[in-house]
Amino acid sequence: MKNQKKIIIIAVCILAALIAVFAIVYAVKKPAAQAGQKDITIEVTGSAGDTTEYELITDAEFLKDAMDELVANGSDFTYSGTDGDYGIMVEIINGESAIYEKDGAYWALYVNGEYGQYGADAQPVADGDDYLWKYEAVQ
Amino acid sequence: MHSLWPTEMTTSGSMKQYNKDLSEQQSEQTPPEKRHEPKKKQRFSARSIAQIGLMVAVIEVSKFALSGLPNIELTSFWLIMFTLYFGWQVVAVVPVFILLEGAIYGIQLWWIMYLYAWPLLVLIVWLLRKKASMILMAVISGIFGLCFGALCAIPYFFIGLSSGGVASGWTTAVTWWIAGIPWDFVHCIGNVVIMLVLYHPISFVLKKVGQLHSD
Repeated sequence: MKNQKKIIIIAVCILAALIAVFAIVYAVKKPAAQAGQKDITIEVTGSAGDTTEYELITDAEFLKDAMDELVANGSDFTYSGTDGDYGIMVEIINGESAIYEKDGAYWALYVNGEYGQYGADAQPVADGDDYLWKYEAVQ
Repeated sequence: MHSLWPTEMTTSGSMKQYNKDLSEQQSEQTPPEKRHEPKKKQRFSARSIAQIGLMVAVIEVSKFALSGLPNIELTSFWLIMFTLYFGWQVVAVVPVFILLEGAIYGIQLWWIMYLYAWPLLVLIVWLLRKKASMILMAVISGIFGLCFGALCAIPYFFIGLSSGGVASGWTTAVTWWIAGIPWDFVHCIGNVVIMLVLYHPISFVLKKVGQLHSD
């Protein structure tokens, strides 16, 4: 009985310590948005390999807002997707569909040449950043 | 009125004595090297296979029913309870569940994560099974929920590693993990609440199931 209580106390302490560590890590390292005006580039590389480039000056803090601005300001850029629990899943860009179940492909997001870690909703926009949407077929 | 039987020869007493004599007799007949060997049981009887199927079905149905709620799941709860009440059978439940998940939803990256995440939970619970209580299992389930994102970040290390070395692997895994921390908190709270609410009622039912099978 005493031993069991000891194990419960240890387990509760581990849980409390983990919650504290995770909360601190998230508070310090979470994706931070940048306020103010930013000059960014959004590129789209389709299945044929052709790339279209769009320059945008925006106050948007996240990529999806910047993409919405790009759609609204009269460029030929269009996109759509489905909203899920973790944000938007971009499926069609400039009329080209990359739906995994249907097309066996997806729109991959690269930020400054590196594979993106966030979806369009959570990707912070920083001045001078280059965002590339690339059609990638699943092997 | 005095009983005709001495105290040790009451009904239960006589049975105990008979069983003791029988076991002594058997141990005398058994070669010494085999005396401590556990009795061989038929591990995968038709009943245990059916039970394993039912356990997997319960997990799958619960998982599907809660699929609309992000990171709120009953899989952890059921695996913990089945480990506590059905012991070794969970060794078959976990791989069957993982294979079924792969067959239904397709084998993708998350499936690799399942290969080690769920067996790890079962192993931890199995090691602590003798100290099991509602509070302890709620805390274990909570820790598992909280660490699920970190566990699932491991394959991302190898993805990053393949494209840009150890530093890239580390960045990819840690970034992926940090982005999902709020959802890990949801997972943790969900697991704790589910265990606190369902532990006693489901324990009662599973004990009954166990009694039925021992009859």
